[in-house]
Amino acid sequence: MTFRNFARSTAAMMLVFSAASAGAEPLKIALVETLSGPQASTGLLYRDAVKYQIGKINESGGFGGEPIELLEFDNQGGPVGAADRVRAAISEGADVILQGSSSAVAGQVTEDVRKYNLRNAGNEVLYINLGGEAMELTGAKCHYYHFRTSPNAAIRVNTLLDGMKEAGVLGDNVYAMNQNYSWGVDVQDNTVGAAERLGFTVVEQTLHDVNKIQDFSPYVQRVQAAGADTVITGNWSNDLLLLMKASSGAGLDVRFGTAFLDQPGNIGNAGAVAEGHFLSAPFNAEVNPEETSAFMEDYKTVTGHYPSYVEPTTVFGLMLLGEALKIVEPTEDGLKAAELAVALENATAETPMGPISMRADDHQIIQPMIVQKVSTEAKYKADDTEFGFVPIKVISAVDAEQPVQDSCKMKRPS
Amino acid sequence: MKFGPLLLLITVAVLIALPWLVSGSMLNAAVQMLISALFAMAFGLLCGQAGMLSFGHAAYFGVGAFAAVHAMNAFGGEGLLPTPLLPLVGGATGLISGLLAGYFSTKRTGVYFAMITLALAELMHALAPHLKTVFGGEAGVSSFRMPAWGIGFGTLNDVYFLTLVWTVLCIGLLYLFSKTPLGRLALGLRENAHRLRFLGYNTHALGTLIFAVSAMFAGIAGALQSMNIEAANYVVLESHISTAVVLNSFIGGVRVFLGPAIGGAVMTFFGHVSSDLTRVWLLYQGIIFVLVMMFLPRGLVGELVERIRNPSGDGIAHTLSTLLMRLASLAITAFGAVFLIEFLQRFLSPEYRAGVTDGNWPDISLFTYDWSPLSMSPWAFGLGLFGIGIALVTMVNRRVAARKEAQA
Repeated sequence: MTFRNFARSTAAMMLVFSAASAGAEPLKIALVETLSGPQASTGLLYRDAVKYQIGKINESGGFGGEPIELLEFDNQGGPVGAADRVRAAISEGADVILQGSSSAVAGQVTEDVRKYNLRNAGNEVLYINLGGEAMELTGAKCHYYHFRTSPNAAIRVNTLLDGMKEAGVLGDNVYAMNQNYSWGVDVQDNTVGAAERLGFTVVEQTLHDVNKIQDFSPYVQRVQAAGADTVITGNWSNDLLLLMKASSGAGLDVRFGTAFLDQPGNIGNAGAVAEGHFLSAPFNAEVNPEETSAFMEDYKTVTGHYPSYVEPTTVFGLMLLGEALKIVEPTEDGLKAAELAVALENATAETPMGPISMRADDHQIIQPMIVQKVSTEAKYKADDTEFGFVPIKVISAVDAEQPVQDSCKMKRPS
Repeated sequence: MKFGPLLLLITVAVLIALPWLVSGSMLNAAVQMLISALFAMAFGLLCGQAGMLSFGHAAYFGVGAFAAVHAMNAFGGEGLLPTPLLPLVGGATGLISGLLAGYFSTKRTGVYFAMITLALAELMHALAPHLKTVFGGEAGVSSFRMPAWGIGFGTLNDVYFLTLVWTVLCIGLLYLFSKTPLGRLALGLRENAHRLRFLGYNTHALGTLIFAVSAMFAGIAGALQSMNIEAANYVVLESHISTAVVLNSFIGGVRVFLGPAIGGAVMTFFGHVSSDLTRVWLLYQGIIFVLVMMFLPRGLVGELVERIRNPSGDGIAHTLSTLLMRLASLAITAFGAVFLIEFLQRFLSPEYRAGVTDGNWPDISLFTYDWSPLSMSPWAFGLGLFGIGIALVTMVNRRVAARKEAQA
């Protein structure tokens, strides 16, 4: 038995060595995501999308002739677990770290990667932030090895307002209703900031407790009293659902402009209450029908469901990574992360939504945004309801771009 | 208990040699085990020795964590507060916040005490996201461990030794504290606070002091954690951190001295290993807690100490053989249960569902074999093992009971 094991492992070692001499070491990419516990549902969506797109990259040759190896780590939902798993990922040889489902975790991962790179110059790793949308991550906390492939509060809010304005549904009086923490504050600031440019008045701004309020009717009364035409909100999950339900229950005739209405379960839960409300997101299934349908169907055959919420953005972000990997030449000891960083800044990917690229100044992705509306006329329905999202306006990558934050002082390696 | 000091020395020696014995990932786990052991010990002082069940210990852990991060940024690891002394800041802020919170909460006992601690912790948790300058907002406050005293503090080994020294020192201090008159009075507070008051002691001041000392050590543990991950985020104030320390301490055994520490270390290690192996590790964690509470209410260490102190009188050989039989039958039960849970989890996962095409159910690979979910074999295998295990456990228990009866 032991001898057989020995023989097997020797054979395996031989294989490894011969492979190593034939090509470079395979590129390892680590997904450090929340895969268990109460927040796992979003983490698992990222996992599906990452597995899908890494599979695509491997089908077209991988990196340096070797398939990319995807390592999965469970960050247990918090920064402490994430710090631990980032270390584990790096010690297992990961060159690129992927994570997306929480800005708290993203804040930890980006700092861990920055410090690791400071302490291990010449042996850097990259962090691709698939969905931590806090402004800080490309602001005060921005650094050369962090890349965000999702939009942020500024992009979400400004495109949403632009689209609603153009569709003639924004009205003159806008109410900013948000959760009282950094994300909600970012959304509120950007709403107020766009008032002059788009010629509307912010009649009132409210910051409320996060995920604690059961009854939104007092807030709805304030919206009514302020005479608002539109409510712009960055709320997600229950805070969004209960707000919309309270508003519809009070018979209020306002339109909601939201950032996360496409989260799975929202439409199923809200049903007709969500009809006519707006969303700005980097994907809609009806834009460029030919290419998008092909993508939708292919995604479904591989993963068993249509891509929604964070999945398309994740796939597109990794398409950009795939393009960048085509530019980089593998060296003897695998990938040079610094070269990949340069390549990411120069790469462009053609997604079904249009071309996307990475801005060199703060490593924020520049991508088209689609302002969309909940309607029964949608081709792809959400959550098995009769509702889905119909595109109202596609905002091109150039128009969706927002200025680099002053707080970002990125040190580029000389 | 004569083996106690020897055992302790061996443990410390192993802990010191650990960086040369285990891989980086395990050393990382060891750092977290030490931190959660210290945190559980701080909780154990309050709950086990003084009998005050706090549901809000994350608050003092968090206060220590944020204080250390801010101190790290302010001093840059130099001057008055070089990097290795940073946990002092966590301890000091923990002590002060413990005095304040303890003053209010120890005015009441029992459930009301627990409610006040919970409320205070929730207050912190609700407040933190609003104070961006102190708590750093969603992305947290981060810092950088600077070199000091000729040590770089960049590598995991340095962090491990720093954590080890502080944890061992603090647990030693906690032991000495339990021997002081104040520490002895804590036991009196637990057993009969009224009598203590009749004896002329100020029980409120006593409770406040013990609360503050417990909060101080929780603060040190928090500081060690933020030094380990070089950041602090307000999620550290979430209620599940408070719950985790309660669970860990009770699993270890809250009334024996090292019980909470071992409970904290064991459960952290369990989380570290199992979360990469299975998606349902939280379920296992819950099952372990329920089983320990049902069958070993004194906790793992508590039960062990009890067995050593009061041997059953059957002689070592017999006790050992019963123990081995019990463990073997429990292992069979556990394997059956794990097999069933894992099989069900894979069977119900969306990934598997995606692979099912009209009536064609692919095999599920588990424990290196492929099982067809439509055949009897996996279900019979799992249920059978589980059933056999349970039968064996009952049999062993019956035999032990019969023996006892015969002896009596």
